[in-house]
Amino acid sequence: MTRRELLAMAGSAAVLRAAPAPAPPVAIARASYDDDLVATLGTMFDQLGGASRIVRNKTVTVKLNLTGSPALRFQGKALGLTHYSHPKTVMAMAHVLDRAGARRIRFVESAWGTAGPLEEYLLDSGWNVRGLIAVSPKIEFENTNALGKAKRYSRLKVPGGGHIFPAFDLNHSYEDTDVFVSMAKLKNHETCGITLAMKNCFGITPASIYGDDSGIDGPNESPTKGRGEVCHFGKRQPSKTAPAENDPASNRHPGYRMPRIVADLAATRPLDISFIDGIETVIGGEGPWIQGLALAKPGVLILGTNGVTTDTVGAAVMGYDPRAPRGVKPFETCDNTLLLAEALGVGSADLSRIDVRGVPIAQVRYAFR
Amino acid sequence: MLLAAIALAAMPDWVPARWFSKDPATLKLVESTAINCLLLETSQWSKAFSDAAAERGIVTLRLEGDAAVDASGKPVITFTNRSAMQFDAPIAASAQGVWPGVRVEAPKAHAAASGAPWIDTNTGFLRYARVSSKGAIWIANRAPADQPIPLARYLAAIGDAAMTGARWVLDFDRDFARRLTARDPAALKDWAQILQSVRFYEDHKEWRGYTARSTLALVEGPASGALLSGGILDMIATKHTPVRPVPTGHLEAPSLLRATMTVNADPISLDDRRKEILKAYTRAGGTLFTGPPGWKFPSLRPDQIALDAADLETLDEIWKELNALTGRKNLGARLFNVSSMLSNLLESPDGKQVILQLVNYSDFPIENITAHVLGHFRKATLLQPGATPKPLELYKVDDDATGVDVPAVGPLATIVLEP
Repeated sequence: MTRRELLAMAGSAAVLRAAPAPAPPVAIARASYDDDLVATLGTMFDQLGGASRIVRNKTVTVKLNLTGSPALRFQGKALGLTHYSHPKTVMAMAHVLDRAGARRIRFVESAWGTAGPLEEYLLDSGWNVRGLIAVSPKIEFENTNALGKAKRYSRLKVPGGGHIFPAFDLNHSYEDTDVFVSMAKLKNHETCGITLAMKNCFGITPASIYGDDSGIDGPNESPTKGRGEVCHFGKRQPSKTAPAENDPASNRHPGYRMPRIVADLAATRPLDISFIDGIETVIGGEGPWIQGLALAKPGVLILGTNGVTTDTVGAAVMGYDPRAPRGVKPFETCDNTLLLAEALGVGSADLSRIDVRGVPIAQVRYAFR
Repeated sequence: MLLAAIALAAMPDWVPARWFSKDPATLKLVESTAINCLLLETSQWSKAFSDAAAERGIVTLRLEGDAAVDASGKPVITFTNRSAMQFDAPIAASAQGVWPGVRVEAPKAHAAASGAPWIDTNTGFLRYARVSSKGAIWIANRAPADQPIPLARYLAAIGDAAMTGARWVLDFDRDFARRLTARDPAALKDWAQILQSVRFYEDHKEWRGYTARSTLALVEGPASGALLSGGILDMIATKHTPVRPVPTGHLEAPSLLRATMTVNADPISLDDRRKEILKAYTRAGGTLFTGPPGWKFPSLRPDQIALDAADLETLDEIWKELNALTGRKNLGARLFNVSSMLSNLLESPDGKQVILQLVNYSDFPIENITAHVLGHFRKATLLQPGATPKPLELYKVDDDATGVDVPAVGPLATIVLEP
């Protein structure tokens, strides 16, 4: 199946809804950043049937989690120890994908407040970019916060028409790929309760179009801000070149909008590999700009081939009921993204249907807030 | 008379501290250190103290109003407002300064990723002062007296001045002064690091004669915020873009040599001859940025050292354009992972040594800093107070620049690059 066929299939909500949501297995491992993470990750992939099966001769796009400016540190800690993807896990993923025969490994992120090269953003984040590039000649980078290296944006329609937007205009990287990977952090989220593999992919929306300083009529190819006004609060529409909201009179509360946007994105650009780094992280929010943040060392990695099932296991590891309704922790003020994505047929949020391999959830459960 | 003349000659080498005790026993704290000039309030000054200091080769000055006077009562140094600084004096000094550090802002209540913090600094003003003066530059901003100041903040204050070639007149919060006087072990440990940091820059006096290395020149004067903290130079420097300040009154054709881009922040202060110099510069291929038509720097009060909110909006009008013009260009060096730091790129008069001064304003060491320095270099050494010089690996970034990675730096560091 080609990637275009896959996307076409994803575009058919009827097809997705006709069958029960898929529930592929999820692997869990204990880990520390001093471990041989290449070996750990390799074992986890093997528990899911092997990385080669998914990536051999494929273009693999890896969405990192580098939320907020790299200038913002929590208690002076390295970003990877708190709210960013840790460079060691990314290095390990690069090794595993390379050995598994990936044809191209493209690391992407919509870097906060800039459309500059992602490599420079990584340097600003304290990464050894030369070391990462040295892993494989197949590695490349793209900042997806704007048009990037393409001549046009890719329009990806939301299956079933979308809760908020009917389609998204995205950097070409999210269309020009065979395999889509999310490398997320195990974290709470101020608006969505949790931010795991799926919520990480909210960052695929370019600020050039969905940002607070996006152009009114067309993209601003030099964005400098976040996406609060367009996405979280719905105070304005995206640039006119992109599809506007289905219903501009709909609920403006971020706890209503953001879970729906995330679920729609998960259905629009489904994840083939979902990775959650819970070795060291933060509790109480997604970044240092959130009050009441605390450091945590759950010492766990989670890997799956489906965004919903992986995040469901992630939520359970955090001590939450993945099917908790609005009003129940961690979804006190928002709708449950897992259930919304499940309803779209992306994957199952039913823990009883998910085969957890490696370390049982009970042995790694870590009480978040 | 002779002694007075000798003292005058030594003035550029005075390393000052505002002293907190009249007890001669406290002189042991500065004995055989780089600090050789103590400033005392009149109420603290005594002949006994002064004589005891002199025996140790330490000059004492009495503070009277805005002047520091010698034993005979003769004013030696005047601490003026920035706008009244005497750049032709052996020591040009101002008491007006901000307390350097990362500006702390309360986290937001709602989810929204945000940008980099602002660093309060005197460096923009001091860099202008440095190129305006042939003598020494002192800044005597006071440490917040009523709160215990962490060691890192003191070190940042020392570096904030020293990386521009100026000296901060050391000053201490009450708690630290009390603990030092009482020989509290923790205070003495911090004191040792403070002395080490002062010594670090005094051991490299030659750096004060180095000049800014950048292909970006900033023509500025008092009317265009050169004496401010948070002015255009600071805004450029916060982006770690090297910039060479050129005082409006010093603008000559050679001032712009090697400058591929020049920002004229002070168009209304230029006389016809200097306007012609800039025209010739653009005719020769230089890029001149003057801001939007009709734009002028906000009016400033003589005692003003920072811009208010309305002024910042005016500055924002040119900042976006200027940032777009300079952003991501290598105008001397590009630095990465340095958001809580400020830097200053300098070169020796013979051009054979380039130094990158780094000051970390956070309370934590910074790991994995990268610098892409314009030019070709074969040797790089990391110098830090109290540490053995560390050779650094160099690599080619592109045809024009050399890359260097620094594994970790503490509060103060200097990278020395040689061809």
